[in-house]
Amino acid sequence: MTPKKKILLVDDDQDLREVLSLVLADAGYQVVLAESGPKGLEMTDRDRPDLVLLDVMMPERTEGFHVVWNLRNRADAYFRDLPIIILTAIHQQTELRFYPDAGDGTYGAGEYLPVQGFVDKPIDPPALLKEIERVLSLGRKA
Amino acid sequence: MDAAVEKRTLLPATAELMERIGWFIRLRWVAVAGVALFVVAGRQFLPVDFHLPHVLTTVALLALYNGWATLFFRKLIPPTPVPATPPPPANAPPPLLAGWLLPRTLRSMGYDPEVIRVVYFVNVQMLLDLLFLAVLIHFTGGIENPLRVFFLFHVIIAAILLSRRATYLYATVALLHMSVVALGEMLGWLPHYTLAAHWRQGGYADAHLAGTQLFLLGTTLYITAYMASSIGAQLRRRELDVFLLSRALEEKAHHLEEAYGQVSAAERAKSQYMRKVAHELRGPLGTIQTALGVVLQKASESAAPTSLDLIRRAWKRAGELAELTRELLALSRARDGRFLAESVTLRPEEVAGRVLEEMEARASQAGVALRSELAPDLGEITADPEGMADLLNNLLGNAVRYTPAGGAVTFVMKEEGGELLLEVADTGIGIEERALGRIFEEFYRSDAARAHAADGTGLGMAIVKAVVDQHGGTIAVESEVGRGTRVRVHLPILRDHEAEGRRGPLPGEHR
Repeated sequence: MTPKKKILLVDDDQDLREVLSLVLADAGYQVVLAESGPKGLEMTDRDRPDLVLLDVMMPERTEGFHVVWNLRNRADAYFRDLPIIILTAIHQQTELRFYPDAGDGTYGAGEYLPVQGFVDKPIDPPALLKEIERVLSLGRKA
Repeated sequence: MDAAVEKRTLLPATAELMERIGWFIRLRWVAVAGVALFVVAGRQFLPVDFHLPHVLTTVALLALYNGWATLFFRKLIPPTPVPATPPPPANAPPPLLAGWLLPRTLRSMGYDPEVIRVVYFVNVQMLLDLLFLAVLIHFTGGIENPLRVFFLFHVIIAAILLSRRATYLYATVALLHMSVVALGEMLGWLPHYTLAAHWRQGGYADAHLAGTQLFLLGTTLYITAYMASSIGAQLRRRELDVFLLSRALEEKAHHLEEAYGQVSAAERAKSQYMRKVAHELRGPLGTIQTALGVVLQKASESAAPTSLDLIRRAWKRAGELAELTRELLALSRARDGRFLAESVTLRPEEVAGRVLEEMEARASQAGVALRSELAPDLGEITADPEGMADLLNNLLGNAVRYTPAGGAVTFVMKEEGGELLLEVADTGIGIEERALGRIFEEFYRSDAARAHAADGTGLGMAIVKAVVDQHGGTIAVESEVGRGTRVRVHLPILRDHEAEGRRGPLPGEHR
């Protein structure tokens, strides 16, 4: 049996974190939780998860973006290729696709945010699990 | 505000005065030219032979004086627009003679030093003109010269430019001048110059004849003064009325504009508040929904059917609430007028493709055929991607929701008449005439709609309308009960270069 995949969930809603950690644990994943962007980065360094579930709309509106760009701008290929799924309302998906924050406060309109997937909030557990499976099956780029 | 001060800003009366002075001076050039012509040509073709050197000297002096008047007037021209001179103290005594000489309309504005200078300038010219005319008439026959009626012109000009009193004053001055000439010549104090040597001499020396002439001239002058100043005063009153009226209108328009600004600010504040509330509700609601979903899944084997049913109901209602907050957000977003801030260059078929992807699942679940015709090369347009997605989601969602199983929904997107056409047609239940006028109202759902589908917030078409308005587009809905509905939306196509500079702050920046 393959070792359990480790998923980092970054969301500021404690109840949601706990509900989802239940769902993910049930589905056979190992779950790490973080309640903020900086905390999420810290845990990525420490726990080196296989996938990150990231809420972008945390209190600081751009906090999620900063996590994405912080990871993508690193030299280590692990971070650059780490699969990220954005948790957001369907409405923000369009916005996110069109306004990726370049990490330095500028926005590159028309480019795509370098993440592997989006899941709508409110989260439908089966849809979430399906998206996680899809993203994990993409395999990591060499 | 004090009425006198208020009226002082009406300076068009001064502007008109200036315009008329310009005309007055031009008229004098015509007079100079006329006399010169008369001197040169008159002696050739008319039976006159007046004393040439005196007349020529007078005309030359007149030309010189008018040259001065022209230059002085040019220097005076700037008073329009009049500089903001401080209003005079409420009961300042009028400057010397000004109360007498100023026309009523100007007097009512207070004694503006600028205006008083202009009026003195006019009076100096009037006096000089009368003097020149008297001298000219003296050199060309005195009381025997029929041109003495030219004094009437000055009276008329005074009536146009100055007050009624000033008009009578100048009629009197004219009569005095003429009397001095006539009496002086009659009594031998002044030499008499003939207009034409062969005319019967002696008229000037005959007291009865000269007196009659003077009496007639005086009468004519005063009657003219009366008539001209009455008409002039009436005209000026009308001018003032018209001006005050247009000012009042302007003020009204200004008030209306202000009120409109306040209303739209309140409208914006309302929609921002709605947005905040909806946003705050959404997070917890989403968590409730997800948590209930998990419970449903996990408990489906162990829990009692009644508990399970209650949880299912709670889950469903949470979903409806989440949908409502989502739509409230979309509506307030579209109403915020943030189109300028959030529009980007996009390919409409990409947005439509994403919406269709989701809609296809819903349509097939409802047993409705969803067909779409997207024109292949629409190019890039500038629009608000979220708004576009909201619009299509609602139009297509409604069409699918209100079309019974077995029906069809057709979506067409193409360029038409330089605009982007989005057309959604269904074979659904249709909208009755009476409901058609209300479909854009918030929370409005027709009875037929409620009967057909329990879900639905009644916000969808309000969102559609807000997005269409936001993009400056138009929407037309035609429907037949039992046959279906067709919605046609036209959005102006803005290419990137047209939208340049229209883009405001981007998301993430503080608004």
